[in-house]
Amino acid sequence: MIAVTIAPVFAHHSFAMYDHTRTVTLKGEVTKFQWTNPHGYLELDVKQKDGSVKHFSCEMTSINMMTRLGWRSNMIKAGDQVVATVAPLLNGDPAGLLLDVTLPDGRKLEPGVPAVNTFKRTQEE
Amino acid sequence: MRIVASGLLVIGAFAAAVTLGAQAPATHPDFSGSYERFGNIFGQPTAAQLADKTIPPRNGPAPLKPGPMKEYQDRLAAIREADRKGTPLASGYVSCLGDGMPSMMGAMFPIEFLVTKNQVTVIEEAFTQVRRILIDRPMKKVEDVEPGFFGYSVGHWEGDTLVAETVGIKEELRYQNVPHTKDLRIKERIHLVAPNILWNEITMEDPAVLEKPWTVTVAYRRMPDYTLLEYICEDNREYRDANGVQQIHVNK
Repeated sequence: MIAVTIAPVFAHHSFAMYDHTRTVTLKGEVTKFQWTNPHGYLELDVKQKDGSVKHFSCEMTSINMMTRLGWRSNMIKAGDQVVATVAPLLNGDPAGLLLDVTLPDGRKLEPGVPAVNTFKRTQEE
Repeated sequence: MRIVASGLLVIGAFAAAVTLGAQAPATHPDFSGSYERFGNIFGQPTAAQLADKTIPPRNGPAPLKPGPMKEYQDRLAAIREADRKGTPLASGYVSCLGDGMPSMMGAMFPIEFLVTKNQVTVIEEAFTQVRRILIDRPMKKVEDVEPGFFGYSVGHWEGDTLVAETVGIKEELRYQNVPHTKDLRIKERIHLVAPNILWNEITMEDPAVLEKPWTVTVAYRRMPDYTLLEYICEDNREYRDANGVQQIHVNK
């Protein structure tokens, strides 16, 4: 786990469009780890129970915040199998706010979401 | 020969004086460097924070006149209600706009000060915001400054304190959701309170909106080994819809 910075964390914008009452655990294959501002994105293909594949976009914080927390652009690459905890979009679109991700080597990384404790973790599959 | 020699001596002494003048130590501190916001900003201050004299006291609310106060409170209520419904109102950040003044001095991300003879340059990492405080230059009239995000700033040194004044801030911008007019005047007193702690006492004057000048103090802590990172809005998937609500494009 990466240590949380002691500096105050500010949000780029409101995160109210994400569900604060539940989280979803996504086990999937990375199609892209996008290192951009104003947010980084982890793009995932997640195999469904019926065998089909559903694509999920996971929004992260600013790559500047992530850099200061120890992230690097080469930490995740297409093809990696990861487990992501996301707060899903309230409108039902296949996207969420990434709260943490576990890499193939077992490392668990957090992108430093502000007020992360306000998201109730329910770990739905 | 003697005359020539003494003449050379005079020239030499003059040259030395000029050189010394150019290299004379400044009477004000060079606080150039990278800093991060410091102090108690969110939540209740701890006992240690209250005892730390390098942490400024909590800032008071804006002393708004009744009309602007209603506009401000209505805006806060609308933001809270929109957040509660999960349909947040889009701030300027959603369109990848920088804060402008004085919000950028809140240092959402690290901030850099570059102190030079004729200008103090302030760079805020978030959105790569840059403002220039022109030293010992005359202030302009408000009507002679085109409204912008950073306005027109001049400054001078009062001992160890950089005193800056800014006019020309777009009325659309808000500092902590507080409204202002085109006559907003921002006065800053920037000075070190410890070798690595810089304070900025920011006073806003806007007689049509504020009952009296409103001062907020922001503290910064030096980041000795940090170089500001680039920040370009390369792929902004968030946008403001027709109702002013923040939305996001989703790849499906």
